[in-house]
Amino acid sequence: MTIRSDEAAAMLADVESVVTKVKQSRIYRNAALIFILWGVVDLVRDLLIWARPAWFGSQWFWVDLLGVAGTLAILRLGDMAAARFPFRTLAAFALFYTFGWIWSDLLGQFGPRESMAFWPTLFMFGYAIVGLWFGWAFTAIGLGLTALVLAGYFWSGGGFILWQAIVTGGGFILCGLWMRRA
Amino acid sequence: MDGPDEIIHQPIRLRVMAALTACDPSEEGLDFTRLKGLTGATDGNLGAHLDHLTRAGYIEVSKAFVARRPRTTVKASPQGRAAFARHVAFLKAIIAGM
Repeated sequence: MTIRSDEAAAMLADVESVVTKVKQSRIYRNAALIFILWGVVDLVRDLLIWARPAWFGSQWFWVDLLGVAGTLAILRLGDMAAARFPFRTLAAFALFYTFGWIWSDLLGQFGPRESMAFWPTLFMFGYAIVGLWFGWAFTAIGLGLTALVLAGYFWSGGGFILWQAIVTGGGFILCGLWMRRA
Repeated sequence: MDGPDEIIHQPIRLRVMAALTACDPSEEGLDFTRLKGLTGATDGNLGAHLDHLTRAGYIEVSKAFVARRPRTTVKASPQGRAAFARHVAFLKAIIAGM
């Protein structure tokens, strides 16, 4: 059997393409669990705020902390590269929350409506950036949900908290279910 | 330089082996539907190629019922991984002009 150089190159390109798809699929599958987890966290937090407005404020941070702990557990169970650097993952969360706190509380002094729009979109942009390296789905989800949050901020009126619960909570859960099949 | 692996050389089987060897040996492998999507093969076509690879000892096929549905899982054997690595090395050597 004789194989020309261009045929060999085409076969290797085919191999590379399949390997990339398999690796991306694995990333999506593991990320899907994280999306579903944060969907549940967001849904619970926003419904708590809706039912008891007193939950708005620093209390919701404790609900988020469950999400951070769950994320680390999923990374570990999925044997993802990030699990080998739990300190970096924690540091990434800490940097995001610190940046958010500086702008929403210290400098910006956002009201409840602005805060409820700001925090999810801050993390959505994180997903959008991650997508530039790990797959377009992250970018699409990040930008798509950001657009929905902004739409709710401007047009949902008094139903904004419920809108947020559905968009960020339900949206993350649906995106996670979709990514499991990708 | 080793010659081409006549079994893996076929395009669909090359894609199957590329997909299966991209999985960690400790993982359970890939299911039939996922392989079909990755290779672009039809059910019958993929089944025939999997039979071919199984007979060569390059893959292991297991069938089970998950949520009352049949599920076929395919995994590369150590022999298959080695054969695929040799075939890829052979292709790279052609490009390098060896």
